[in-house]
Amino acid sequence: MALLEVRNLSVHFGGLAAVHDLSFVIEQGERLAIIGPNGAGKTTTFNLLTGQLKPSSGEVVFKGEQITHASVFARTHLGMARSFQITSLFPHQTVYVNALIGLQGTQRSRYRMFRPLFKDKALEMAAQELLESTELWDLRGEIASSLAYGQQRKLEMALSLASKPDLLLLDEPSCGLTTTESADITARIAALGSMITVLMIAHDMDLVFGVAERVILMHYGEIAAEGTCDEIRSNQMVRDIYMGSRKTLGHAR
Amino acid sequence: MGDRPDDVAKSDAPRGRARGGIAPTGKGARSFVETGLPVLAIGVVVLLLPLFLPTFVSSLVTKMMIFALFGMSLNLIWGYTGIPSFGHAAFFGLGGYGAGVLVLRVDITNFWLGLLFALLLTAAVAAILGFPAFRVFGVGASDNPIYFLLTTIAFGELLARAAIALRPITGGSTGLAGIPHPDLGFGITVTAGRYYYLVFVIFVVCLFIIYRIVNSHYGYALRGIHDNERRMQALGYNTWLYKYTSWIIAAVFGGVAGVMFAYFGGIMVPNNLSMITSDIAFLVVILGSTTTFFGPIVGSVAFVGVEYLASLYLPERWPLILGSLFVVTIMFIPQGLGVMILKLWRRLLYGAA
Ligand SMILES: Nc1ncnc2c1ncn2[C@@H]1O[C@H](COP(=O)(O)OP(=O)(O)OP(=O)(O)O)[C@@H](O)[C@H]1O
Ligand SMILES: [Mg+2]
Repeated sequence: MALLEVRNLSVHFGGLAAVHDLSFVIEQGERLAIIGPNGAGKTTTFNLLTGQLKPSSGEVVFKGEQITHASVFARTHLGMARSFQITSLFPHQTVYVNALIGLQGTQRSRYRMFRPLFKDKALEMAAQELLESTELWDLRGEIASSLAYGQQRKLEMALSLASKPDLLLLDEPSCGLTTTESADITARIAALGSMITVLMIAHDMDLVFGVAERVILMHYGEIAAEGTCDEIRSNQMVRDIYMGSRKTLGHAR
Repeated sequence: MGDRPDDVAKSDAPRGRARGGIAPTGKGARSFVETGLPVLAIGVVVLLLPLFLPTFVSSLVTKMMIFALFGMSLNLIWGYTGIPSFGHAAFFGLGGYGAGVLVLRVDITNFWLGLLFALLLTAAVAAILGFPAFRVFGVGASDNPIYFLLTTIAFGELLARAAIALRPITGGSTGLAGIPHPDLGFGITVTAGRYYYLVFVIFVVCLFIIYRIVNSHYGYALRGIHDNERRMQALGYNTWLYKYTSWIIAAVFGGVAGVMFAYFGGIMVPNNLSMITSDIAFLVVILGSTTTFFGPIVGSVAFVGVEYLASLYLPERWPLILGSLFVVTIMFIPQGLGVMILKLWRRLLYGAA
């Protein structure tokens, strides 16, 4: 059984078909990348998968369950998590509190009304582990909005991992980062382990070819091409669509 | 509107909130000297006040405590969850009317039963109104809360109308007068002079409960929703449920304030449900700050103080003074007196920083 199955998914904004008749499948443990020019409908696809947007038609099946109309948080509890293209943190809270809030989202304790958050030993241990693994532990006392951009992206990543997802959706994880930071993120994603299935949107071809096993090219809300990295690299349509755009495929390894 | 707590938090938060956050190393940061001592000192002073000062002062302080609780209940949803309500008096009035009606119309004079009834009533009404309210206040609505604000105003005006219409029960437009001194059961009736202590005890208990709530797991989820509701949902939180429940909790504490107010003045009028009274909560919170826990207490002290001075020297000018107070606060102390005092206190303790 496929982990995620997308069938004929469409959504329209007024007259614009932002996503049109999209179908694809992700197997357990796979690393799939979605590429495509600006406005192709990649982020919109993510919003449909995570439930932020409801599709005009089509369906989404996750772990064999129909989740087309499930709420965002219900999907998270089922094992889906995402990062956002535009960094989405708790800007007024410390890095540490960001981690605590992130971690308890899928735990029963999140409804506890009388126990101080800071007295939850298990949660604190988990927060330390999460922040250490993302190299943010030393910054735990900093307010999130005061972090440098590269660190904010790391925290973004940490938050999307906080719910221990089975399927991780990453929306341009290296967007706006320096080459070094970008390489670091690439290594991190590659090292995630086969328990986590990754679907990511990326413009950065080093990231795509460094991590993904399979690539989907989106164009005008539809799948224009699909294949392994090698197939995509030699695909004429991919070359046409990316021709003249800021990233060239010749750059890739 | 310059009252979005975010504007404030940006400048204040780096010092204000970082402290509690640096666990485990920074756990002692909120030291006894910093918080415990002033709380104790103020508590003792307030407790002993009636022994040394004339009655009108303790009557003022009673009012300060009532409006402080009223403000704190609004701050729970506004400062913490990020839901600004213009109709919070609806619950204040419901509490007061609920207790009053039980005493005067049903003849159940026991204070605790009245309190319980009033709380159940406010909780029930809040639970019903919460459904339409949070249809209007969807995800990310704090960026543009105008429709929600209008809806909450409507709730208050609607209830005020109802209070006028239901004359046999509520006393109509002249109000529900003649609420007697509270009867605590066991033959204890609280006289005017002693009412101060009853309010004090209830106030302290409510303060403690609210404090526990906002610092709990649940409380931090509320803060998370304030900061970024979309992210909260993506993390697995049913944000609607948090908004809805915090709205009910805020209503209940607003109701407690209303009950204390009803026994304080011995009368409830329809205006206690509407905009004019909601303004008090709003002003108390703005004056005090939405970013500190104790802000509304400071706000209430300032508000009741100004109100008293105005009643002495410029009794007919109250609406004008109320309006000016709003403007002056927003223009000159946008972050609120609470933040100001906190900064001064920390500077005093730790030296210039
Ligand atoms: N909520 C919305 N309402 C109306 N139009 C929208 C909405 N969200 C996205 N769109 C439009 O849908 C199209 C696809 O947008 P989307 O954000 O999915 O692109 P993308 O592939 O992620 O692009 P980028 O690489 O720039 O992130 C765009 O034309 C965008 O303007
Ligand atoms: Mg996008």
